Amino acid sequence: MLFGRAKKNPIKLPAHDVVEWKYTTCGYCSTGCSIEVGLNHKGEAVTGRGVGGADVNRGKLCIKGIFEHELFHSAGRGNKPLIREKIFDDFRETSWDETLDKTAAEIKRIQATYGRDSFAIVSTGQILTEEFYTLGKLARGCIGTNNYDGNTTLCMASAVSGYKRSFGSDGPPGCYDDFNHTDCLIAWGSNLPEQHPIIYWRMREAREKRKFPLIVVDPRVTMLAQFADMHLPITPGTDVVLLNALAHVILAEGLEDRDYIKANCSDFDAFSDLVKQYDPVTASKICGIDEDTIRNVARLYAKANAAMSIWTMGINQSTHGSDGVVGINSLNLITGNIGKPGGTSLSITGQCNAMGTREWSSCSGLPGYRLLEKEQDREEIASFWGIDPEFFPKKRGMAQTDIFPAIETGQIKGLWLIGTNPMTSMPNTARIRKTLERLEFLVVQDAYADVETNEYSHVYFPTGLWAEKNGVMTNTERRVNLISNVIDPPGESKPDLWIFNQMARRFENGQKIKFPETASEVFDEMRELSKGRFLDISGMDHEKIEQQRGIQWPMTEDAETGSPRVYSDGKFNHADGKAKLIPLPFIDNNEIPDEDYPFWLNSGRVVEHFHTRTRTGKIGNQNKFSPTPYMEMNPDAAKELGIEHMSYARLASRRGDAVVLVQLTQRVPRNMVFIPFHFHECVNRVSLGLLDPHSRQPAFKQCAIRVEAVAQQEAAAVVNRAARTF
Amino acid sequence: MFEVRKDEPEYAFIPNVETPQKNQYGKEIQLVDESDALAGQSLNINGDSGVGDNPNRYKQHGFHFTADNCIGCHACEAACSEKNQLPAHISFRSVGYVEGGSYPAYKRMNISMACNHCDDPVCLKGCPTRAYTKFAEYGAVLQDPEICFGCGYCTWVCPYNAPQLDPVQGQVSKCNMCVDRLEVGLKPACASACLGGALDFGLIETTPENREQAKTKIPGFPSPEITNPNIRFQQVKTLPREMTRTDTMPLRYQRDEQGEGEYKPKAALKDTPREWNLPKLRSREDPLVLFTLISQGVVGAFALLFLGPLLGLDLLSADNNPVTVGVLLLLMVALQGFALVISTMHLGKPHRFYRAFNNLKYSPVSREVASLAVFFTLFMGYVFFSFFSLPFLHPGFSEGLKYVCGVGALVSGPVFIYAMHKIYRIQARPFWNHWQVLTSFFGSTLTLGSLLVGLVFAVGLAAQGESFAPLLTVLAVPMTLGLVLESVGLLAHSRDLDKAGGEGAAAHIQQRTVFGNTYYSRNVGLAVSITLVALLGLVGLDGLPGLLAWTLVGALIIATSLVGRALFYVLVIPTTMPGAFFWRNQGFQEHARESGLAEMPQVGVLPQTDYHHQQMERARREVKEDISRLKQLGVKACLSALRVNVQQRLQEAFSRG
Repeated sequence: MLFGRAKKNPIKLPAHDVVEWKYTTCGYCSTGCSIEVGLNHKGEAVTGRGVGGADVNRGKLCIKGIFEHELFHSAGRGNKPLIREKIFDDFRETSWDETLDKTAAEIKRIQATYGRDSFAIVSTGQILTEEFYTLGKLARGCIGTNNYDGNTTLCMASAVSGYKRSFGSDGPPGCYDDFNHTDCLIAWGSNLPEQHPIIYWRMREAREKRKFPLIVVDPRVTMLAQFADMHLPITPGTDVVLLNALAHVILAEGLEDRDYIKANCSDFDAFSDLVKQYDPVTASKICGIDEDTIRNVARLYAKANAAMSIWTMGINQSTHGSDGVVGINSLNLITGNIGKPGGTSLSITGQCNAMGTREWSSCSGLPGYRLLEKEQDREEIASFWGIDPEFFPKKRGMAQTDIFPAIETGQIKGLWLIGTNPMTSMPNTARIRKTLERLEFLVVQDAYADVETNEYSHVYFPTGLWAEKNGVMTNTERRVNLISNVIDPPGESKPDLWIFNQMARRFENGQKIKFPETASEVFDEMRELSKGRFLDISGMDHEKIEQQRGIQWPMTEDAETGSPRVYSDGKFNHADGKAKLIPLPFIDNNEIPDEDYPFWLNSGRVVEHFHTRTRTGKIGNQNKFSPTPYMEMNPDAAKELGIEHMSYARLASRRGDAVVLVQLTQRVPRNMVFIPFHFHECVNRVSLGLLDPHSRQPAFKQCAIRVEAVAQQEAAAVVNRAARTF
Repeated sequence: MFEVRKDEPEYAFIPNVETPQKNQYGKEIQLVDESDALAGQSLNINGDSGVGDNPNRYKQHGFHFTADNCIGCHACEAACSEKNQLPAHISFRSVGYVEGGSYPAYKRMNISMACNHCDDPVCLKGCPTRAYTKFAEYGAVLQDPEICFGCGYCTWVCPYNAPQLDPVQGQVSKCNMCVDRLEVGLKPACASACLGGALDFGLIETTPENREQAKTKIPGFPSPEITNPNIRFQQVKTLPREMTRTDTMPLRYQRDEQGEGEYKPKAALKDTPREWNLPKLRSREDPLVLFTLISQGVVGAFALLFLGPLLGLDLLSADNNPVTVGVLLLLMVALQGFALVISTMHLGKPHRFYRAFNNLKYSPVSREVASLAVFFTLFMGYVFFSFFSLPFLHPGFSEGLKYVCGVGALVSGPVFIYAMHKIYRIQARPFWNHWQVLTSFFGSTLTLGSLLVGLVFAVGLAAQGESFAPLLTVLAVPMTLGLVLESVGLLAHSRDLDKAGGEGAAAHIQQRTVFGNTYYSRNVGLAVSITLVALLGLVGLDGLPGLLAWTLVGALIIATSLVGRALFYVLVIPTTMPGAFFWRNQGFQEHARESGLAEMPQVGVLPQTDYHHQQMERARREVKEDISRLKQLGVKACLSALRVNVQQRLQEAFSRG
């Protein structure tokens, strides 16, 4: 109007025409952001926004949450159950009854022929807690296989195992509010800006208000590393050495919290003896962090009033993942930094409901952090469900990463996959293909019919996703939050809860055990089973959870609200009530780069994608930021090999090969490349994934590869394009 | 009004703080007084006649970006695209980055950029349709996609790549400052969504809480002198001396150690071999290559044809060679008509061509189109009276009109060429912003004009068995002059580009590497043309050998002209923002199209560069709708509406200072 038209035209801005907002919680990572989905007058989900009054995200959302409502009508969704005799046949659309009958019959046949444990179930960290609990009931109580696990083995198993070893139980002790109280933060292999942007925002806001030192341990110069006061570019796979060295300095200089150790920790002597071997000089030669820096960090951490550590896959996905977690726990125990504001050892979880599966799915035991190994736990659950306790195995069966080799060698003949995509997510794709081929019967249950693993399935169950269902999820800080049923699943796809209930009816014990229809009734059962336990949720119900925008467990029956922290009283869950200080001898068993394979292969997330892209790969406004896999490579290394920016290179390892688009950047060292793990037929064609002895989690982030220039760029582009179906 | 939630977080509200009187460029921050006629009016957003209660409604607002903090999480881009319901291939806000240093002393600086709602909006001035308005409300520069006819000129002049041309829709759209949110005191969606503590928004020249700088420059950001953008920066952390781009734009940024430590754009250091890359000469601007060359040729040819006989070149007069002159005139009409059609079809909405006249006051495009219209009308008048004379009137009257038209076309032709050259004198495109454009355009006018006349006459005279050598000897003079003019311009251009550095120098390096063989061949072609034209003119070869020789020289001149003009369009490197590895990276876009990745819509790259078919479909549909609406209205109502409209336009044109 200052310039331009004298006669102003009316302004037209795109508007969503929202008539109703429905409360729900994000279904991607485990930050646990509250989202309101806006519905128009036709009842279509047209927009979404962060809930202003929710403590976790305070109105903010990351790119994935902002576009999450677009998932309801994204491409590739399944809307009819599918069936086929052989994996080389075409699928036939059919009824739920036929697929459910066929599946139940196959499970029974396989179990009758090869034994009860020859049928395996691998689920996810993505479905709702009530669904997990129901699946556990079905798997443990009706089908009765002991080879039942979640894909959380690929992401959080080391954290679970480490927590159990140190504290006697799973359950992260801290919360996001700890950022507001801490005086020193170490991020171990955790790149918040890319992986958990909202947690990053909370941390940054806290740090802007009250500056505290941020130390980042990461072999790559991530955004977080760039913003850190100290960046420790560690040699891959050697975190335990650094942790031992930090403990060494703290003990050697008498900086430990002796009163705390004495009152609350056991096995100090064995721990102290071991860390004596890891003086900073010795350690520096192994972990690549110089001795002065080690001493500096140790002193800073020990002298801080409150110090906290967070970690993600940099720790969990290594051959010493569980040990790494134990080491971080021990560092916090000897400095008295557990369960106090700003002092904690907080695993930053990956999947939205990884916590839910750990708590309630029974995949590593029985519901409510109960163990198969404990007779009392078996009896409690058996009587609650109304079955014979002898039906339960007395020891946990195989983890996901052991189930697959058992399929490969024929001990397991049938598999039910729920919301997981091993064809893209597990190491060594060629081996996974070979493994899946061996199955006599594979059921894939997923919201997307184009999930790559469906290539090998006999039956496909289409499910609802995220807010097409109703129930709760638990986030990183133990906050139970509500997913309300915003719209119905498309076509004939069904909530996972419905599928489990239908399947249960087809088994003998399914007649005896009650399988409630609604999520809130299922929640009632969980609430009952949680009474008086560490993860007490007896004070919660769906309504209260929504009102408070999520509640952190434990919340006892009479409590007003939940608890931000656990172990604040120094009482831990080992039989003696103490936390264990565990000595961590280090053996370097990684596939270290050598002459033939001179590069470390590192992998990780990008912010716009989630896991194997079945969801995010469909949404243009996310996918466009990385529509095809790429590799960060150091320009100096590339020059020697004649590899150019924005060209394809070939990767080769002892497992196989892959082509990938090259992005030259000094973000990675000369002997390392970094590749996002989200893409089918890329990084996992070459990855190794040695297993952690405690958690059975694969070491995705450490193996050796070779990189070669590709002369025929067009041919490489064709190979890459062929693998990009979405 | 936009809904403010009960639990709307504090950070989403624009702080109501004091501003200085004037901004860093010396402009008043208060855009109009509360008592001004412009104040208190509704923005009429989506039919809402309410007036926002924002207390600072008439003050210039702008973005504040703390470059040290941006994590490149895409939340701002996503919030914007979600609110504005943008398809994947369009984005009002984009985050790119520059990086530098070596592992582990490596730094990446992400830059989030949208429209800067400039004090001097070059988009608004450049737009021929007046689709842009700078509002007194918040100083927002808003663009109306409905008015836009998709010429894309605003995307040329904007230094920040803010206006987005959607080839599918055939129109531009851009950041609207979320004025609906501003009306209720909320920051735009992007700033409210920022997770890194980087992007903020508020009254211009006010520094957000905990921020201490409000600079107008950071590395990678074009010079603020071009448009006086309303964005302020904080960037206090030390960056490596040299920052590079990850996109394929061959630029890097180097700290000027001798100066004020500012980062200046330089050509990227790449040992690119010298190549031909002939297929890459084709671009969206192909119609403009032909349009400019043909128009220049026609203007030149007409001047020769009109002036020739007056200056004693009797051979060129219609009295002596009526058939040849007639053929030449008709050929010129056909050529210019063809040029007009292809340049119109080049628009996103060709059926809205008439909007090109909407911004005579500011837009070089409007002026070019207007001067073209004048020239073409007069030229057509000249042609008409060359063939017909008006019935019932004295033949001298028609002859007089022909002469008047001729003189008019003679004058308006060069004016048209000058106006055409002004289009390319864009600060945001340093490769173009040089007087070489003028010498090139007038050089082509002389060369192609005399070539056109020469060849037609050579054939015509030869056909009659007459000698054409003397005529061509004369025409060789302007032809050579044109070629020399072009060459002199090019020499100076190449020298000045190297000296000036920045995007222009980078383009020139591309010219000598990626298109090196093509470029040098063109230069050799120019030199050879000059020599041959001079030689042939002097020798005065006649008959079939002469005809053959001149045809060959003509072909060479046309080829060098086409290649030269194509280079002019494809080489330009705008002073744009750095892209990311995939998003806003021309190299990836090309790869996605070649490899077929672009066929997946979620890749965010359109599979084609041209959506001519869709645009013609739309044109047909809209013209049909227009006709049926006009039919409904009736002739009388239409005429009176037209009258009102024209009156308004005229009033506007004269009332604004």
